[in-house]
Amino acid sequence: MKTCITAMCSLLLYFFAPAQDKAPVKFGKVEPADFEIKQVYDTGAAAVVIADVGESYFEGNSKGWFTLIFKHKKRVKIINRNGFDVGDVQVSLYSQGTDEERLQDLKAITYNLENGKVVETKLDNSAVFKEKINKNVIIKKFTFPAIKEGSIVELSYTIASDFLFNLQPWEFQGTYPRLWSEYNVKMPEFFNYVFLSQGYRPFHIKKQESGFQSFTIIESGGTAGGSSDRYDIRANTSDFKWVIKDVPALKEESFTSTLRNHIQRISFQLSEYRKPLVERQVMGNWFTVSENMLKRQDFGALLDKNNNWLDDELKRICGSETNLVEKAKKIYAYVRDNFTCTDYSALYMEGEGNLKQVFSKKNGNVAEINLLLAAMLRHENINADPIILSTREHGITNELYPLMEKFNYVVIISTINNSDYVMDASRPELGFNKLAANCYNGHGRIIAKDPTPVYFIADSLKEKKVTSVIMLPDEKSPSKILGGFTSSLGYYESLSVRSQLRENGQEAFFKKIKEAYTLDVTLDKPVVDSMTKKEDPIQLAYDFSFEMPDEDIIYINPMMGEGIKENYFKAAERFYPVEMPFAMDETYILDFEVPKGYSIDEIPKSAKVAYNDGEGFFEYMTSKDEGHVRLRMRIKLNKATFEAEEYDSLREFFGYIVKKHAELIVLKKAK
Amino acid sequence: MRVILLLMLFAVASKNILATDGSYAFNKIKPELLKGAHVVKRFEEIRFSVKSIKKAILYHKYAFTVLNEQGDIYARLLEGYDKIHSIESIEGSLYDANGTKIKSLKKNEIQDRSGTDDNNLADDSRVKYHNFYHKVYPYTVEYEFETEYNGTLFFPIWLPIDNEHVAVEYSSFKLICATDYVFRHKALNYREAPKESIERGDKVYTWEVNNFMAIKDEYASPYWLEMTPVVFLGPNQFEMQDYEGNMSNWQDFGKFFHTLKSGRDQLPDQVKQKVHELTDGLKTPEKKTETLYKYMQDNTRYISIQLGIGGWQPFDASYVANKKYGDCKALTNYMYSLLKEIGIKSNYTLVKAGGNDKFFIPDFPSSQFNHVILSVPLEKDTMWLECTSQTLPAGYLSGFTSDRYVLAINENGGHLIKTPKYSWKENLQSRKTNAIVDEAGTLIIDAITNYKAIQQDQLHSMITGLSKEKVLEILKEEIDLPQYDVLKYEYQEFPSVLPEIKETLKLSASNYAQVSGKRLFVAPNILTKSARKLTPAESRQYDVVIDFEYTDIDTVEIKVPAGYIPEAMPAVVSLNTKFGKYTSSTRVEGDKIIYYRAIERYGGRFPAADYNELVKFLDQVYKADRTKVVLVKKEG
Repeated sequence: MKTCITAMCSLLLYFFAPAQDKAPVKFGKVEPADFEIKQVYDTGAAAVVIADVGESYFEGNSKGWFTLIFKHKKRVKIINRNGFDVGDVQVSLYSQGTDEERLQDLKAITYNLENGKVVETKLDNSAVFKEKINKNVIIKKFTFPAIKEGSIVELSYTIASDFLFNLQPWEFQGTYPRLWSEYNVKMPEFFNYVFLSQGYRPFHIKKQESGFQSFTIIESGGTAGGSSDRYDIRANTSDFKWVIKDVPALKEESFTSTLRNHIQRISFQLSEYRKPLVERQVMGNWFTVSENMLKRQDFGALLDKNNNWLDDELKRICGSETNLVEKAKKIYAYVRDNFTCTDYSALYMEGEGNLKQVFSKKNGNVAEINLLLAAMLRHENINADPIILSTREHGITNELYPLMEKFNYVVIISTINNSDYVMDASRPELGFNKLAANCYNGHGRIIAKDPTPVYFIADSLKEKKVTSVIMLPDEKSPSKILGGFTSSLGYYESLSVRSQLRENGQEAFFKKIKEAYTLDVTLDKPVVDSMTKKEDPIQLAYDFSFEMPDEDIIYINPMMGEGIKENYFKAAERFYPVEMPFAMDETYILDFEVPKGYSIDEIPKSAKVAYNDGEGFFEYMTSKDEGHVRLRMRIKLNKATFEAEEYDSLREFFGYIVKKHAELIVLKKAK
Repeated sequence: MRVILLLMLFAVASKNILATDGSYAFNKIKPELLKGAHVVKRFEEIRFSVKSIKKAILYHKYAFTVLNEQGDIYARLLEGYDKIHSIESIEGSLYDANGTKIKSLKKNEIQDRSGTDDNNLADDSRVKYHNFYHKVYPYTVEYEFETEYNGTLFFPIWLPIDNEHVAVEYSSFKLICATDYVFRHKALNYREAPKESIERGDKVYTWEVNNFMAIKDEYASPYWLEMTPVVFLGPNQFEMQDYEGNMSNWQDFGKFFHTLKSGRDQLPDQVKQKVHELTDGLKTPEKKTETLYKYMQDNTRYISIQLGIGGWQPFDASYVANKKYGDCKALTNYMYSLLKEIGIKSNYTLVKAGGNDKFFIPDFPSSQFNHVILSVPLEKDTMWLECTSQTLPAGYLSGFTSDRYVLAINENGGHLIKTPKYSWKENLQSRKTNAIVDEAGTLIIDAITNYKAIQQDQLHSMITGLSKEKVLEILKEEIDLPQYDVLKYEYQEFPSVLPEIKETLKLSASNYAQVSGKRLFVAPNILTKSARKLTPAESRQYDVVIDFEYTDIDTVEIKVPAGYIPEAMPAVVSLNTKFGKYTSSTRVEGDKIIYYRAIERYGGRFPAADYNELVKFLDQVYKADRTKVVLVKKEG
């Protein structure tokens, strides 16, 4: 039996791999020479994946259908101890009810070179631990034995899956550089999968050849001991092969929504069954998907129910309000203020789906909370539809294909008197008709009879902040400066300030502001406006005072602690686009009346620079007259997303801002 | 280095005192208890009934009135269990501001979660979790549950006020046992002796507190357990999964752990051979120990597996020899076995590890540990070995386990000793910086820094734990300069019992000096600016406790562009306080600014009244570190 499988493998390899295009290793055979890596690809790497080879194909099974077979072989060279984590392996298996994917032929062997000889240590199967992550995911965990610096580890296993939608995706890129990453898929013509590929590296091999395969399917009779039927299907296949060589390690960069958008990867989506099977569209289109979602008990089915268990509460919430927008606001605020979101990544309700239970236990995932909101709005005859989307850290969605695993979030849209209002009641700081910044991730979809696409674009978020500072000498004590600070924050900064104030209190918040001044300032009359009006941005204001230092030359930074002190873009180079949460627009105004007895010796020079031909600018205008220094500063960018090619100019732009923000006013004591 | 023996801070216990309707009403709370509180513990009863040497029942009932959102974290049940501790029953109720019950916990709302983290390959610790998710304040939650102890190695502690912003109306702690049962107890910040009584033939000891106001945690405060009432219990005789022991004194307690590991020191022949091969030619036990420690480090790695008694008992040395991995117990026992093979005696040593928590009660033998290291008593000195690290030099413990009580164990039992302390003299950072500034304000910096002892711990982890690429990435992000590039960096380690790291850095920092017309402003302290500023306290309640002590010495030379002369110079600052000494001075020599700075920071315990002196000291340092030399361009 064992030899049979091996024979088949080599046969398949023979088909797929012409001699010159083979993985540069012979799995299962490690020679002393293999411990030297000829190609030092990335000198800093703690481990190098010598070869990572995967293969997926289909087999007929004895349950009357097909089984997906995924074979994975991987050889990694551990360069130093920082690469020991290569030895910790988790294989995740899908499960549904009693059916689960089967992990077979697991082999994990560590090879060490000892006195010129290759010594192998095999994984002891009793050292494989199983852990149930949730109702659909089981992981098998183990660690390679006898790992040392310089070890080669080789992993091989097979997953047999009866879940045909789970054709394994392939990631060509990972934490460590990969010299050879190869994926082979043999796809019978009676299944159609949509291919989704992303990444920036060129393929070494990318080809599709025609092949052929016979499938034997056995369908057992309904009763025990009943007869079984046997079918033989012969079909043409498409044999795909993808190879990428010398893939660098994946690297985190700041201002990246998620590496998931950039990792070199190919994945598949089952879309239809074809002849000789009964022809059927599996993936569907947005219309069928939307229709199904609306029927699902854990999504749309409960929205239009009578839901009379809401009668009393809604009467209490809405009172005598008749204006629909006002009513919607009240219902929205009620859900937001009384329910706790326990999971910000969910497309469906938990379990079977039970809104009444969500209502009574006062918590739920984001889908549950917002679907409850929709049910309550509809109960009051306010039109409300769910929008599904993906938050930024979850990656972008596909507009063309309804790939549901790309979505992880639900918000609500209401159209009242021809105006649209979006709502997300899962976040305690948000206001009516506002979404959190991480929902601005491009395409989303309204789930309704007519499933319309909607777009939430970060470039459209204008975060406008205006700060003004006035300073003048105290008439009673000329060496003392009195100041007034007011700032109208952008909406998203307001959200974060609100949550800071809520978590730590106002005292701690202003204490932090005070400590940010290099000077010894005393703060007075702190005011935070609009704490409760969550639709509006916050206005911050306080008075401050400080003593002029007793020195002949005094230098003061006119930005008074509001300047950008460090360049946001520290890294010298960039591989992925810069994705900022919004387009910034900051204005700062200073009016400083210099105390008598001092002369204004120097002020920073005015400057204005444009960013990329009108896509933004930085302005820093200073003036002095009659004992006043004035500054007007503005940074404005018209967009939030910048291509990697623009990185240098962006870095330079902010570098210039940092420099100007550090410049000083020089005052001299009159002699 | 990872922590494994879990310190169990559980509490629990009753059934009699029922909350009659309204007794949890918000308006019944004394106004002074609301001051500074996010929650008020209205009621708590913990009853620990020792049934036998094997078995005990912990009953715990408590009610919290949550005053605002910041108190929400208390309005939940989060209780751990494992193979030895099982949770038998859970009840819970929710009350509104009037103390009217509005909801009861439903069994199907209790979540069962894994209690382990990603560091562990296998672990049997689990957690029961429940939350009412109520958001209308104030409200009250009440929970009641029972945990069965199938082993008495750990007794619960009573810590009625376990965090800041928690006020307590009433809390009681009872130990119930047979009249002839012998145990020990120790109370801190609790003046009276426990009340003793007899209930149904059993002896009952009771501790209680009434009306305790919320504590405000302060910067550099003492350990929490030194500030608030706490009661520790300890058995004399105990049993854990068929192993019996006695912890009435450290010696006997040590014997228990010795028994757990006895017979687990057998090495495979080829390892024995290797051990002799490596050490037979060496002369001193020091050299032999160092060599075997290095061998152990090169041939093992840390993997955590905690299952049942495996949480306390090490794996066999042969297991580690074959798999080449183990947890702290297994690796320490392995190292012990390697040394034993060549006749060097060593002690398996229990410790409470962690940089910030050295709280320990030396006169109360009990399970106060969470980690194991090895101490090797040699002729001159004891050599300390942290066996979960593949990189620490032999004899150096790092801030993770230094300066604290540990229980060293051998065949005669356990004895309490202290690990070495690294003082401000040892924790030395000395830096020499040479820089050139140009007219545009760009600075080219060459800095050579020597870090010693605890001052090199973090750097050591970084350069040994991360790839070169990642180190560069961190260097490019973490240095406190407005905009800079790392042109060159190099680290050289000097391993010893007081390890040192030499860092060579070349940086270019654009816009470092501010240019305003004819002037150039240069802060001569380029790389060693103090970061901390405190706000003076009107009334400080607790002592000021400073643990980490160190010295930083800097000399800086900055070459300024031709044609610039100094217009203003920072004044010399010299401070001498009980918290430390500071001096900085700047002068000009030719075209160079010469800056010198030295700071010594002392550890210790200082009276609360001295706090504002610390604030003043840090503030003066903060300002002095940021003063600038003003250079002005000569006219013409």
